[in-house]
Amino acid sequence: MTEEKKTTKRLHANKALRQIITDFYADAHRAKAEGRPVGWIPPMNGLIELFYAMDIHPIFPENWAPICAAIGTNTNNFAYAEKKGYSGDLCGYFRNNVGYALDGIREANQPLDGLPKPDFLISFGAGCVPTMKTFQVLCDHFRVPVFRADLPQIAMEDIREHHIQYGVIQIKRLIKFLEDLTGKRFDIDRLRQAVAYTDAACRVWDEIMDARRTIPSPFSAAEIGIMFVMVTRHGTKIAVDFLQDVLKEVRGKVERGEGVIPNERIRLFWDNIPLWYNMKLFNYFEKWNAVVVAETYTSAWTLRMDPDKPLESIAYKSLVSYPLVSCVSLEKRIELIRKAVVDYKIDGAIFHSNRSCKPISMGQMDIMKVLSEELSVPGVMFDGDHMDGGKFSMAQFQTRIDAFMEILTERKRV
Amino acid sequence: MNIRELYERRLDIVKEQKAKDNCPVIGTLCSYAPVEILNSFDIIPLRIWGESENLHKADALLQTFICPPVRHLMALGLEGHYNFLDGIVHCYTCDATCGLFNIWVRNLKPGFSHLISLPYMDINEALSYTIAEFGILIGKLESFTRKKFSPESLKRSITLYNEVRSLMREVYYLRKGGFRISYSDICAMNICCETLPAENFLAELRKYVKTIKEEKRGSRGKLKILISGSIISDTSLMDFIEEVGGNIVADDACIGLRTLRNVIPEGDPLESLAGYYLARPQCASRADFPSRKTHLLETLTDFNIDAVVFIHQKFCDPHLSDHPFLKKIFDEAKIPHMQLELEGDGFTGSVRTRIESFFEMLERR
Ligand code: SF4
Ligand code: SF4
Repeated sequence: MTEEKKTTKRLHANKALRQIITDFYADAHRAKAEGRPVGWIPPMNGLIELFYAMDIHPIFPENWAPICAAIGTNTNNFAYAEKKGYSGDLCGYFRNNVGYALDGIREANQPLDGLPKPDFLISFGAGCVPTMKTFQVLCDHFRVPVFRADLPQIAMEDIREHHIQYGVIQIKRLIKFLEDLTGKRFDIDRLRQAVAYTDAACRVWDEIMDARRTIPSPFSAAEIGIMFVMVTRHGTKIAVDFLQDVLKEVRGKVERGEGVIPNERIRLFWDNIPLWYNMKLFNYFEKWNAVVVAETYTSAWTLRMDPDKPLESIAYKSLVSYPLVSCVSLEKRIELIRKAVVDYKIDGAIFHSNRSCKPISMGQMDIMKVLSEELSVPGVMFDGDHMDGGKFSMAQFQTRIDAFMEILTERKRV
Repeated sequence: MNIRELYERRLDIVKEQKAKDNCPVIGTLCSYAPVEILNSFDIIPLRIWGESENLHKADALLQTFICPPVRHLMALGLEGHYNFLDGIVHCYTCDATCGLFNIWVRNLKPGFSHLISLPYMDINEALSYTIAEFGILIGKLESFTRKKFSPESLKRSITLYNEVRSLMREVYYLRKGGFRISYSDICAMNICCETLPAENFLAELRKYVKTIKEEKRGSRGKLKILISGSIISDTSLMDFIEEVGGNIVADDACIGLRTLRNVIPEGDPLESLAGYYLARPQCASRADFPSRKTHLLETLTDFNIDAVVFIHQKFCDPHLSDHPFLKKIFDEAKIPHMQLELEGDGFTGSVRTRIESFFEMLERR
C-alpha cells in the first residue's frame, strides 16, 4: 500500500452544477418576488413535473438539508430544533429542516439567500415517518393553504392498478387546488412535456451510471452531487441538458481509459446516504487504489415515464421512488444491490449504518450477509450519520476501513 | 381465571387451541392489522409482543439505534418464542416495524406473510383504496387457507369484535366511575384481546366485567392520569405510577382506548371495516395531526384528566416527533405533563425518581 496522495480529478461538469444549484434557488426567490407561488414538497415524487408544468416553483426541504450540512448551518438548525423540544435522536433532515423553518429562516446571511417561504404546502402521508412529520410541523407553522395528500408505502413489486389510481385521483384533486391557487388553467400538454423531460433525464442518468461499469471507473461517488438535477430539476430541460453534458464528459473519459484515479485496483459499493458534511470521505479509499463505483442511493432516481400517460406516470413515480431505497421491501433492495455488485464488478461493500435514517439502515446486516455468502463480496459497516457530524467518529471509520481495505488488497493480490 | 392469569397463559391457550382445531395462527405487529378478516377465515390473529431477556440476540440483525420494542421482538423471534406462528401480517405504520416485518420474514421464513399499505389519512378517496387493499389480503388468505372468503363470516367476526371492544370500553368507563381496577389489569386485558381467539376472549371478558361490577368501588389515586406514547410491555412502570398516587384512567397508546372508541357499522362488511380503520383515532404513525389533536382534547374532557405522562421509547420517531406538538396542546389546556424515555433496560431508578418528583409537584398544586 502506498500513502502517496493521488490527485482526484473532478468532473468539469461540477462547474455547471454549481451554477444550476445557484440558479435553482435564485429562481425560487425571483418567483416569490414576482408573486408566482412557491410550494414546499417532499422529494422523490411526481409532483415536481406537475409544478413545473404549472409554473410553480418547488422547494424541497430535504434537498436544502445537505446544502446546510455542506455549508455548516446544520448545527445551528439542530440547536433550534432542540430548543423546540425535538429529540436529538430524530433524523438529521428532520431536525435541520424543522429548526430551519421555525427559527433558522430568520437568520441573515443564509447560504443561497435561504429558502423563500411557502405560499402553500402539501401535507403528506408518505415516505418515512420523519418526512411525513416534517410536513406536519411545516403545515402547523406556516399559515398557508394546505393540500392534504396520501401516498401509502408499497413495495415496488406489489404495485397494482388501484395504487396507481389512488395516486391519479389525488393528483386530479391537486390540479384543481393549484388552478384555484394560481388562477391559471392546467395544460396537460405541458405536463406531457415535463414527463418526457423526466423520462429523458432518467435514460441519460442510467447511461451515466452504466459508464461506471468500465474499469477504470470514470468517476466516483464523490460526484454524487450531480443527483441535484434528478431531485430538483426533473420535469425540465435543464436536467436533460446538464446530464447529456455529463454523459459526454464521462464517455470521453471512458474512451481515453481515464479513471478517476490512475491505478484503479479495488471497486467499492456504498450503501446508504453519504455524509453530506464530509464528502471528502469518498476520497479516503484512494490510498488503496480503490474507488466507490456504485451506490444504493443513486438507483432511486431512475425510472421510466410515459408522456402518453402523464398522470399515471407521475403517480407511479410517487409510489416507487422512496420504497426503492428504504425498508419497504428488503427483498427488492437486496435484488438491486446484488445486481449492482455483479454489474459493477464490486470487490467490497461499505455500509454506512446511518443513525439518522432507520428506514435505509434497517436490513443492512441481511444485505451484508447476502453479499458475502452468495457473492463472496465482503462488506464492512461503520457508524455514522448523514447530517450530524457529532455522530460520526473518524477514528472508528479509519480503524474499520483500514482493516477492511487491507483484507481487500490482500484478496486482490492472490 | 382472572385477567392476569389469562394474560400469563395467553400463548399456551393459543397453542392448545391450535393443536385442538388445527387452525392457523398469524402474527401481527400493529393494531391496524385487520384482525376481523383473519378471524373470518378461522385464523387466530396474535399480536407479537413482549420483552426478551436476551436483547443482544437482535444485534445480529438490527442496529442498536432501532427502538427497543422492535429489537425485543426480533430477539424473541430469534429465540423461537413465536415458532408456532403460521404467518405474519403487518400494516405499514412506523418505519421500524416495517423494517422488522421485512427482516422477520427474511430470517424466520414464515409460511405466510403480507404487508398492507393503509392510507395515512382519511381522505375521500381512501375508502375504496382500502377496500382494494383488504381485497389483496383476502385473495392471499384464500389461497393460503384454501377457503373462500365469506362476507357472512366477516359480518360475524365484526359483530364479535364490536362486542369485545364495547365491553373493553366499558371497563375503562367503570374504572373512570370508581370501580377498583388497576391499570396493569387493563393492560393485561388489552393484550389478551390482541392474542386470544376472540370467541374465547369474549367469554372471559364477560366474566371479568361481571366480577368488576360485583366488587365495591374503592378509593384509588386521586390524580387522573392520561398516559401517551409508544408501546410498553413492562407494566411495572404503570404500577409505580399508581403507587405514587396516579390513577391511570386513559391511554393514548398502540393498544387501548384508541382502538375501542369506534364501532364498526352495519352494512357491507368490507366497506364498514375499511371505514372503521380509517376513521379510528389516529396513532402517531399516521398523518392526520388535526384529528389526533381533536381526539386528545376530547379524551382530556371525557376523563377529567389532571396530568399526562408521556412514555416514549428511545429512538421512537413517531412519538418523539409528535411530542412537542402534544406538549403545546396540553400546555394550552393547562394540563401538566412529564416525559419518560425508556432505553430498553426496563424501569430504572432514575425513572422512579422522576415520577416521584412529578407527583409530588402535582400534589402540591
Ligand atoms: S434520511 Fe431516512 S429517515 Fe431521514 S427523511 Fe430520509 S428516508 Fe426518512
Ligand atoms: S411506534 Fe415507536 S416504539 Fe413503536 S415500534 Fe414504532 S418506533 Fe418503535
